[in-house]
Amino acid sequence: MIEVETLSKNYGSFAAVRGLSFVVRPGEVLGLVGPNGAGKTSTLRCLAGIIPASGGTVRIAGHDVAANPVAAKRALAFFSDEPRLFEYLTVRQHLNFVARLYGIANYEALAGPLLEELEIADKADELPGALSRGMKQKLAIACGLLHSPQVMFFDEPLTGLDPLGIRRMKDSILKRAGAGAAIVLSSHLLHLLEEVCSHVLILKKGEMIAAGTLAEVEARFSNGEVGVGLEEIFIRATGGSEN
Amino acid sequence: MLAALLYLQLTSLKNLLLSRLRRLRQPKYLLGATVGVAYFWLFFVRPMSRGGVRAADVFGAEAGVRFVELVAPLGALLMLLIGLLAWVLPTERPGLLFSEAETAFLFPAPLSRRKLIHFKLLSSQARILFTSLFFTLLTNRFSALGGNTLTHALGWWVILSTLSLHTAGAVLTLTWLSDGGVNAKLRRAVLLGGFVLVVAASVVWVWPDLRAPTGSDLAGVNPLREYLLTVLNGGALGWLLRPLKLVLGPFLAKDPVAFLIALGPALLILGAHYFWAVRMNVAFEEASLGVAEKQGARIAAWRAGKRITLGTPAKGRRPPFTLAGTGRPELAFLWKNLLSTFAWLNGRTFRLSAAVIVIGGLWLERHPDWHVQQLTIGFGAVIAAGYIMLLGPQLARQDLRNDLVNADILKIYPLPGWQLLLGELLAPVVILSGFLWLALLTIALTLVPHGASMAWLTLGVRATGGVCLALIVPPLVALQLLVPNAAAVLFPGWFQSGRTRGGGFDVMGQRLIFGLGQMLVLLFALLPLVFAAVVFVAAFYWLIGLVAAVVLATAAVLVVLAGEVWCGVWLIGERLEKMDLSAELRG
Repeated sequence: MIEVETLSKNYGSFAAVRGLSFVVRPGEVLGLVGPNGAGKTSTLRCLAGIIPASGGTVRIAGHDVAANPVAAKRALAFFSDEPRLFEYLTVRQHLNFVARLYGIANYEALAGPLLEELEIADKADELPGALSRGMKQKLAIACGLLHSPQVMFFDEPLTGLDPLGIRRMKDSILKRAGAGAAIVLSSHLLHLLEEVCSHVLILKKGEMIAAGTLAEVEARFSNGEVGVGLEEIFIRATGGSEN
Repeated sequence: MLAALLYLQLTSLKNLLLSRLRRLRQPKYLLGATVGVAYFWLFFVRPMSRGGVRAADVFGAEAGVRFVELVAPLGALLMLLIGLLAWVLPTERPGLLFSEAETAFLFPAPLSRRKLIHFKLLSSQARILFTSLFFTLLTNRFSALGGNTLTHALGWWVILSTLSLHTAGAVLTLTWLSDGGVNAKLRRAVLLGGFVLVVAASVVWVWPDLRAPTGSDLAGVNPLREYLLTVLNGGALGWLLRPLKLVLGPFLAKDPVAFLIALGPALLILGAHYFWAVRMNVAFEEASLGVAEKQGARIAAWRAGKRITLGTPAKGRRPPFTLAGTGRPELAFLWKNLLSTFAWLNGRTFRLSAAVIVIGGLWLERHPDWHVQQLTIGFGAVIAAGYIMLLGPQLARQDLRNDLVNADILKIYPLPGWQLLLGELLAPVVILSGFLWLALLTIALTLVPHGASMAWLTLGVRATGGVCLALIVPPLVALQLLVPNAAAVLFPGWFQSGRTRGGGFDVMGQRLIFGLGQMLVLLFALLPLVFAAVVFVAAFYWLIGLVAAVVLATAAVLVVLAGEVWCGVWLIGERLEKMDLSAELRG
């Protein structure tokens, strides 16, 4: 479970995130949407404990990220838009390294099926330099999933993936949510978020404009119209501009 | 075309200078620039006003003249080797090196191929002029070379321009040969074979003048110099190096008149190279595009902090040891960072080196006529150990400094800061300790005390001392490594600037500050300890024996060093946990 209370993040005098509060329960997928510079990545990084929040509290699986970061990080996985890998470790060695960090005794038994599921088992002995961008993304995901996290954060997870990769990524996210993981993901691909997310949170200039289930947010901005998509809702909610 | 080139060069230079000046508004760059300029002034400019270092002071009055005589053949030999590399190193179809922007703007422009070559040659002049100036400042420190600042600067310009033109000519010729079906393997075999033949013929030619080096030849500087002069100036090798000595002539001229006399032949050779390069009508554009793309990818990888690989991606390597899924997580970083080093840097290499040192040391011990060489190796090992201790932590960067670009990933791992830092430090500690242990082993086997006054230094005492020193090495290296890693954590933006924003006085000054900080840590951490240990040994050796006193003193030193390392790791680890990457690295 993810519990966020009055989260704020400042860069000097600039407030990137202001007083954000929400909860993501097990099995829920929250879509974080907003124009460029709305504070989506800053929010995700604060939630994952990568950067310190300027105010408020974040609890991951019951652990305060600021007070008990190690326990909180054991329960979460963060997937950035750009797969960040070690250039000199092969696919298999990446999983070996991550297994030791999380203390996974039987990692070989978990790694094999994971690589099969992500369709990179045949690349197990390749270095990242020999992988396509999609393959690198899959490796980063395999590393994140190895310790079976209860909470997952995806920052633009579909960037650079081909249509088949996007479909598999959506299936993978839904599968983990179905298994009880609490998931937050940010993306500009709104029609895809509609297929994956149970909830949505719209950010603008660091502030929450709307939050709730897709139906709730739609009801608020549809003005009584039927079949209004998330894209139209997004434009109405944000006023059609970044500012 | 010339106007466009001048505009590009001057505007780029102006913008570069302005951006460097603007960043001096930040205190970290201003401080770095101040230290850098002070260093440059003290070590390069001030010695010029004092007349520089005289070779006579180093080698003796008469030898000063002979020292300069040695510069010409050695410099010519170096030029010959550089020239040879220009023919051997290039890949299958080499191309003139243009930047990606230059290929994008110039190749589709209405410019003839000859104009493109001219552009390339002229654009390299900015780099050559700057390098000439820098080398002049360096070589002006040696007044025995004769000449003055102007002749040195012009001399360097002639040398560097000739080398640049030769490289361009070689690249174009190789492209032409490649188009004619000569592949890289055949070309390399012919060139290297030809070179070996020329050298062999030269050796046969000068054989009557040659004599095998004796122990006394290798013992001192002067006899060695005489031997080298005989080899390099005699026979075919002497003839082979003659045109290259002509290129060096203006730089080595004693006075302005000698400079003018030497300038004629040098400019003739330079002109011949220019004529050769611009007359080559070869379709180099396609090859140049490939080179520019590779260069662009290399620069992008370097800026992103990734390892720069040449050619096809390297294959994955066998890990240094088996890493189980459970256990101390710090060892995972050691495992990972050892994988990031050179493949040859492994336990096998160290074991093999130790075996060679032991066998060589024992052999030297049994051959008293090699005593001078034995001492030379021993003192060489002492100097090497000193350099490793001082420079090693700056060079062995398989730690947090290398992983700072992946800092956001590190921050996700469920580890406290001290554990992350400790894990990151392990690989360079292991590598540098390995080298220092080899140096200690060499010292122990070569600097063997002789004479009655050294009788107290028995084999047992020496062995104990050696083992005790070896035990102190890892914590001492760890302490040294804490300085640059602390800098990476405390000033990540500053640290990163060295990698992402090129050189300059400010970056040079920053590196000097790191080096100075490291030396201070070594002094503060070690001097009081050494003093206390010596006092302890002196006070108690008569009571408990020398060996026991040394062992006890070492144990105390180890405890203090371990405590210092632990405090450093814990404090910097705490800071690492609180480090705000958003503010420092990504904006």
